Amino acid sequence: MNADYAIETLGLTKSFSRGWRGKPFLAVDGISLRVERGTTFGLLGPNGAGKTTFVKMLLSCAHPTAGLAKIFGENSQLRRARQRIGYLPENHRFPTYMTGFGMLDFYGALSGMEGAARKRRIPELLDQVGLKEWGNTRLGKYSKGMLQRVGLAQALLHSPELLVLDEPSDGVDPVGRRQIRDILEALEQKGVTIFLNSHLLVEVEQFCRDVAIIHGGKVALEGKVAELTAGSGYKVEAENVPERLETELRVGSKALAHVNGTGSWLYDNRQDANRALDALRREGCPIEKFGRVNSSLEEIFIRTVSGN
Amino acid sequence: MATRAGVQTTALVVDTFREASARKIIWGFFACSTVLILFFLLIVKIDVVQGALATMTIFGKTQRTQDLAQVVRGAHAAIAGLLYGFGMLLAILASAGLIPTIFEPGRIELLLSKPIERWHILLGRYLGNLLVIALNIFYPVLSLWIIFGVKTGVWTAGFLWGSVLTLFMFAVYLSVILLVGVVWESAVVATMVTFGMIILSIILFNKTTIERLLSSEWSRNIVRGLYYLLPKVVDVGQILGRIVQEKPIESWMPVWSTALFGMACLGSGLWLFQRRNF
Repeated sequence: MNADYAIETLGLTKSFSRGWRGKPFLAVDGISLRVERGTTFGLLGPNGAGKTTFVKMLLSCAHPTAGLAKIFGENSQLRRARQRIGYLPENHRFPTYMTGFGMLDFYGALSGMEGAARKRRIPELLDQVGLKEWGNTRLGKYSKGMLQRVGLAQALLHSPELLVLDEPSDGVDPVGRRQIRDILEALEQKGVTIFLNSHLLVEVEQFCRDVAIIHGGKVALEGKVAELTAGSGYKVEAENVPERLETELRVGSKALAHVNGTGSWLYDNRQDANRALDALRREGCPIEKFGRVNSSLEEIFIRTVSGN
Repeated sequence: MATRAGVQTTALVVDTFREASARKIIWGFFACSTVLILFFLLIVKIDVVQGALATMTIFGKTQRTQDLAQVVRGAHAAIAGLLYGFGMLLAILASAGLIPTIFEPGRIELLLSKPIERWHILLGRYLGNLLVIALNIFYPVLSLWIIFGVKTGVWTAGFLWGSVLTLFMFAVYLSVILLVGVVWESAVVATMVTFGMIILSIILFNKTTIERLLSSEWSRNIVRGLYYLLPKVVDVGQILGRIVQEKPIESWMPVWSTALFGMACLGSGLWLFQRRNF
């Protein structure tokens, strides 16, 4: 584990028991993931895949059953690790008795900001998210999109180095969505690490540099978005691949995935794909599929979660 | 320069005041207190002649009284009793939602994601709630203490100490609300459990009579155990009455055993909150 990564998890596991003396249910099953500093990272997965539980463990809302999560090298369960995080939850419920200004002031104070710093920063941020005129209005009068934007301002208030956003553009109109993307792009330029948990694949494809797909509590696929979606490629799928051979197959592969014991590798050219096939045959691993693919993130997502 | 913990605690306390203010029941509490204050300020007329009470007039009816201090203590005791009984019920109703609301999905995650310890969040909320009720207790108590003092020249500290005991009893029940809130995340359940505990405490006050009605020793032991374990709302109320009337206290056991129960509830609530997944 080192501090070069904004997020680093090692075998992060969370199990819940269902009902009274019920069977334990593995929501997150030994996820090891690294998110580099300054990157824009998209976390994808179908409903119930374990994304939210994973994010909650990063923010210490849930305690891991096993494994470890680190934020800039610090155990995520420690208070000082959270000092560097700005978070916007998916179904946030800001108290409606607060005004926009009051809400930002409250969460700014909880982040440890002094009164003078809050007074200076809040109007700046309200202006940035297009809510300058709404600071003194109660949140109960805000639309869904406005709540989302003031929520983003809340996450940015203490100038965090890592921004964790859960469905940030949910309910936001196209103009507001563009505004959010502009803010996030400016933050990326400043070196802020952005971790995006979203169902909007187009949004992730447009904005994120790296992506991971979680399925059944495990990382089913991870890689660079540009490489995963780079036009055509050759996909090789095989079963029961030994670990030693996996390392060999990684060479030249731009993406890899594991679903129900079947591994898949994506290669840029036919030569690399053929070399992988030869290696698999040599080891006697059953080859499930081989072929040329054209990928968008949506196609990759569907293929990964459906196991095709 | 304020410390980080100070800034965070102040934010939690101020937020509790804001939320309490958004709930109309606190303003109802405030209105009741104001009516009580105005009643004693405007309606009750007391004429004092050389340190002794000459006449006291209420709604135009005049009464003669000899012992001025006794009348003032009696009035103090009646007001303290009203605050301890009716005020406590109102305070519980007003507060029952203030702690469980922070566990609402979408709100708790945001609070926990901030660089603040879990126990600090909960204690900050507890403190804010306690201060809201303290303000509602001390506003009528101090006002009436001054009104009586100015009108009669009798300044007894017992009334003020009695209100501290009322706040103490509320703090104990707030610990129960906190514990139930952490476990069930429901204002309704927190209210029901707290009121249930008050009713049980009133029943257990008559433990001697109950014990006489029970046939087996083990059932008598259960009644005794429950009596010593649970808060003693009637016993503490009696102590409060004696403090206000400046009479000697025979035993402080009901106060310290109630305090122990409150501390156990508070400690358990904080411990459970520390371990919970949201």
